[in-house]
Amino acid sequence: MFIYTREAHPGENIGQHESFERKLACAKLLAEEAGISREILVDDLGGTVHRAYGLMPNMSWVIGHGGRVAYKANWTSAANVEAFLGRFLAGQAGHPPGTSPVPYETQQAEFRYTDRKRFMQDLLRNGPRAVAEFEKAQQLWAARAAT
Amino acid sequence: MGEADRDSIAAYNYPRFDEYVAAGSDMADEDAFRASPWAGQRAADFTLPRLGDGAQVSLSSLWRSKPLVMEFGSFT
Repeated sequence: MFIYTREAHPGENIGQHESFERKLACAKLLAEEAGISREILVDDLGGTVHRAYGLMPNMSWVIGHGGRVAYKANWTSAANVEAFLGRFLAGQAGHPPGTSPVPYETQQAEFRYTDRKRFMQDLLRNGPRAVAEFEKAQQLWAARAAT
Repeated sequence: MGEADRDSIAAYNYPRFDEYVAAGSDMADEDAFRASPWAGQRAADFTLPRLGDGAQVSLSSLWRSKPLVMEFGSFT
């Protein structure tokens, strides 16, 4: 399932949402252009659900049946989610004789590798100012890292 | 809708990414993620409209019988 949030990199072509109707239209665009066949739920204009789960632009969560958090990542890796789900479901299905399942938690650093050319093309699709604003943001991140 | 609500909605829907970063809001978002429910804690339930048919869908109805994978994102 996919939850549609605010725009991460608005530009002249795809601006930030000024109404819920506009947000719905952008969600429809994502479904059509990205070919997302999963169920898409659209958050309200104020981002109520997005705020409750942590405001990152492309995070993933797995909620176990019964409603308890099983996995959270501040960026989406389909491979990691899939691997986790496999372990989680196997753990629920059973355990070796003579053992007791004891839950524990992990936190680990991961790396993601952005295809920079494609990312910049996507920003340009949003509008030229989305490119300029991202480049300014990169300068700000570099200045932060230097302090 | 009150003025505070309008301000909150306007702040959430930032028009410029560079100004959002300059204000440190991206770091605040990372903090919000860290402060969100951790593994083992109960997830917050909400009801949202489904794209396509507009049906109201509760998150709890999706995690009732099997684990729910939720990805957050946007077109941009």
